[in-house]
Amino acid sequence: MPFIKKNNPTIDSYEHEHSRDLNELAIQLADGNPVIRRGAALNLAQHQDASEILVDRLKQDNDTSVRDAILTTLISLGDSFAVIGLVECLRSEDAALRNEVVDAMKQLPEKVAPIMNSLLVDSNSDVRIFAVNILESLRHLQVETWLDRVIEDDPHINVCATAVDLLGEVSTSTSRAALIHLRSRFPDEPYICFAVNLALKRIGEDKGT
Amino acid sequence: MKKIIISEDDFQKFREFFYRKVGISFENDKRYFVDKRLIERIELTGANDFSDYFIMLRFEASGQELQQLINVMTINETYFFREEYQFKCLVNSILDEITRNKKDTSPIRIWCVPSSSGEEAYSIAIYLLEHWPGMAKWDVEIISSDIDSVMIERAQRGHYSSRSVQYLPATLLTKYFKPSGDGYQICEDLRSSVEFTCVNLMDSVEMRAYRKFDVIFCRNLLIYFDDLSRRLAAETFFDALNPNGFVCLGYSESMSRISSLFRVRKFPEAIVYQKPGVDL
Amino acid sequence: MKRILIVDDAATVRLYYRTILESANYSVEEAINGIEALEKIMWISFDLCVVDINMPKLDGFGFLKELRRQAIDQPPVIMISTEAQASDRQQAYRVGANLYLIKPVKPSELLTHLRLLLGEARA
Repeated sequence: MPFIKKNNPTIDSYEHEHSRDLNELAIQLADGNPVIRRGAALNLAQHQDASEILVDRLKQDNDTSVRDAILTTLISLGDSFAVIGLVECLRSEDAALRNEVVDAMKQLPEKVAPIMNSLLVDSNSDVRIFAVNILESLRHLQVETWLDRVIEDDPHINVCATAVDLLGEVSTSTSRAALIHLRSRFPDEPYICFAVNLALKRIGEDKGT
Repeated sequence: MKKIIISEDDFQKFREFFYRKVGISFENDKRYFVDKRLIERIELTGANDFSDYFIMLRFEASGQELQQLINVMTINETYFFREEYQFKCLVNSILDEITRNKKDTSPIRIWCVPSSSGEEAYSIAIYLLEHWPGMAKWDVEIISSDIDSVMIERAQRGHYSSRSVQYLPATLLTKYFKPSGDGYQICEDLRSSVEFTCVNLMDSVEMRAYRKFDVIFCRNLLIYFDDLSRRLAAETFFDALNPNGFVCLGYSESMSRISSLFRVRKFPEAIVYQKPGVDL
Repeated sequence: MKRILIVDDAATVRLYYRTILESANYSVEEAINGIEALEKIMWISFDLCVVDINMPKLDGFGFLKELRRQAIDQPPVIMISTEAQASDRQQAYRVGANLYLIKPVKPSELLTHLRLLLGEARA
């Protein structure tokens, strides 16, 4: 029978010898071979002060598997350098990078929450949109308050549109007034009317009477 | 006690949330199935109504209720030849492509995780023996892993209930099993053809030993993981695979809720996921 | 009945497009990102796709690049995004979008463009 069975998988020598030293890993992070860069990125998870070099690499690396590994490590490090670096990437012209970073930041809700206020008033409307997107993963009830503030004050229609989409899921009767106000701010926008009506309808049901 | 009702809007809200998080979409004809389970969870958790429950579900830091909910909304039974279409895909499509591109005669390596009580790994072994002509030419190594050592022991023992073997064609049951007690015992040849290991997928040190696989079966496991754990598992599978290696997920699972590391591939029998090869 | 795939991670946006398209007698399927969209296209034949750029896991550009790469059905693609990044428009056409629209899209706008691409334009 041509099934072969070895003993438990063992760590091969390459893995054993693979360096874990910060300086070595920093060099490997710039290697021409994406497999080596990826390995370095994952191994840097053991170094608390690796965030800055990881963010630097993230901004320039074209390989998905390397970027993925960098983001996974940044998520696990989760320090302020990681968060600041990720926010910088939100401004990138590279759409794929921006979207990957939003996804990663959703894994750091507690680290992102303290800076959410400043993100929600960023001068760049795309950054504000991403911030609202990230709110989806924050698990505390202040989310609704933030969203209400966005739909009351934000001048950009797509920032409001992103917020009202999320309100369709999390809104309670507290948001009623803000939703109605939003509809009056953009009376000629069918999507806004649609989304507001949907959220209001769902709040109506929530009242239960 | 006030009767709990799931309104149409409640159902839509829940549906959208569940679809986003898990990838399973409940159509209207599943109302009875969904409502029943939702009401159960609402009552069990002591929530007043759907609205209360949904807020708890949505905002709970631990994500535990969501895990529980996923458990009750999905079917997690294991048995021989479960989701057989993927084994067909393995022998009719995946292995052909792997062997066509193989540069040496090293064994084909298949990893099944979780092993649970072994049905999947043994199913693959049986399927290969019965349906893959390549067995005459290639060596195959099957490794199957689980975090639960009790499951590993059960898998190694190879004893199964009639329920577990009910979908096996009678000829295969006779060929590979012997009646034993109130069930069936898998034959010694087959029992010794799979390596079962007890490991934690989330332990990056343990996972360093898992490399150079051609195919990974990870069915109906990641659906029960939270977002971050799914991401980590995808990283592990990526590193565990040879370039151009394949991952098979469960029927209602998709990499769309997990990771973009893999390329979506369609074979006649199934959609599977492939680790990109070395760039040409 | 022509079949349209809507790809957007926002549930309300998908519902909005669905409402518009179904009342115009199109049949609709949904996906929340590029990976799910590819999977659906692999099983179902679509006459057109409406695709958002900003989505998790695989965004609109990644989806379109991969779609054009694979030997599967190649439906026309309307790519939709917010306006702030001008480079998005260039990139959309570069990866093979048939049309680029800016959110929010009005129902008449969506239907007019869709009908044109489907060859249903009235004389």
